Amino acid sequence: MRISFIARVVSAAVVAVAGAAAVAADTDGLTLPAGFSAVVVEEGQGPARHLDVAANGDIYLGGGNGLSALRDTNGDGKADVVKPFGDVKGTEVRIFKDWLYVSDDVGVYRYPLKKGELAPTGARETVVSEFPKERQHADKTFALDDKGTLFINVGAPSNSCQERDRQEGSLGRNPCPILEKYGGVWVFDGTKLNQTPANGRRFATGMRNAVAIEWNPAQKALYAVIHGRDSIDTLFPALYNAEDNATRQGEEFHQIVDGGNYGWPYTFFDTKLGHRVIAPEYGGDAKKEPEAGKYANPLVAFPAHWAPNDLLFYSGKSFPAKYQNGAFIAFHGSWNRAPEPQAGYKVVFQPMKDGKPSGAYEVFADGFAGDMKDNSPDNARYRPVGLAVGPDGSLYVADSQKGRVWRIAYAKK
Amino acid sequence: MIARDLRRAAVLIGACLAAACAAVGGETPQPPATAGQLLYGKHCLSCHQADGRGVRNMQPAIAGGTWVQGDARALALFVMSGGFDSASRKDSAEGNVMPAFRQLSDADLAELLTYVRQRFGNGASAVSAAEVAEARTNLGPAPIS
Repeated sequence: MRISFIARVVSAAVVAVAGAAAVAADTDGLTLPAGFSAVVVEEGQGPARHLDVAANGDIYLGGGNGLSALRDTNGDGKADVVKPFGDVKGTEVRIFKDWLYVSDDVGVYRYPLKKGELAPTGARETVVSEFPKERQHADKTFALDDKGTLFINVGAPSNSCQERDRQEGSLGRNPCPILEKYGGVWVFDGTKLNQTPANGRRFATGMRNAVAIEWNPAQKALYAVIHGRDSIDTLFPALYNAEDNATRQGEEFHQIVDGGNYGWPYTFFDTKLGHRVIAPEYGGDAKKEPEAGKYANPLVAFPAHWAPNDLLFYSGKSFPAKYQNGAFIAFHGSWNRAPEPQAGYKVVFQPMKDGKPSGAYEVFADGFAGDMKDNSPDNARYRPVGLAVGPDGSLYVADSQKGRVWRIAYAKK
Repeated sequence: MIARDLRRAAVLIGACLAAACAAVGGETPQPPATAGQLLYGKHCLSCHQADGRGVRNMQPAIAGGTWVQGDARALALFVMSGGFDSASRKDSAEGNVMPAFRQLSDADLAELLTYVRQRFGNGASAVSAAEVAEARTNLGPAPIS
């Protein structure tokens, strides 16, 4: 009796350990919905940003150390050939027809993608350059529509357009002069070369930093998830406390329309009150609303400081039907929630129908950050930053801590 | 006899659990926060983080910083002035500007700077209110806010 009891306990423990090991092997420690698995494609190209996958499965990855091309030659998901190339260190990477469009802080460029070539050997061409060099919100992420219209996110080099950026009590500049050249989306003909910002047109304004910007081909419309403002508590301590700062400024998901105004720096969407409020720099009292209809309301307001860094409308065929045309969003994770616990650090799925949210968002992939010692973002194990879909419908996720890239696949059970 | 043994065992287990909880859950009494620690929590922590390591590309680390542990007056002047670079450091790469903390008193700045110079593995000398006052004489007029 006793022996069999011990045997059962031991065998249960063995099963538990084996089970845990099996889970870890299937998802690389990430938490995914049932039926999904993850494989590590590559790690080692330095802090990654965005990525794209060609029709033949070749992967193009951007980041702080430059661009690299990855190829899986035996179909196990892992990159067998890794080729760094080019001289562009930045964020965006997008395949458009036979070109690879990429960006850094001051411009958008392209390389020819020739048949049979993994790393492009052709010369880099400049599409748009000479954006002013800035230190804050400088990544020129972009989207391309099916005709090659180029929508560039020009982030505002400011938190909230104060007279003195990030200074306690400093009031907002009114009108905010930053909006003349930043804080919106500028549109260009992406098939023309050697343009400067003067060749573009301001398409939409009032966007602090729309890193996650994406053309939705099914809707023929532009969408973005915008980084909301920081530090309402330390800048205006009489109006807001640390918990308010950690929870109230929504990360706004919008359809971006020609001539649209999304409210920065004059307002932010207060997720506690459920409506837009006037920013404290512009006379806000933590509840006063702006004039009705002046600024668009978000489709969804995600929690404060989650840092939406990529947006993708799922067009692959291998995920279950509910994912079709829905939005995946990579949240890089917060720093400005401290001393409250940091949050974000996950990939979220927002169900969409006809270009509008059709249900509550759900966490798709989590477990990137690990235990994040001392609540410190730099101690996160991984931070998701880039998304792409492969020809087989798998979702690729890139990380900015170590440059890990995962392929997340669905297997029918 | 058995009852007494059980009671003893229960007390022993209880004590062990309490000890384990204290070790795991941080129940051991913490020394009261110093003025410097409170000021750090209020003015610095949300950017430079609880471990003083800052955030890569955003705000610099003050843990292990060479110039944070350098000349006390230069550090005090920089913290009162704000900006990207101090007089002794012109190589910052992080994106976010540091606000000016000239509104803090000499005594508070001395407590705060002493704290950052002696925590996070740093081991520099304390900063006195007199040193902050001396640095303040080099501060220009307050800009329009």
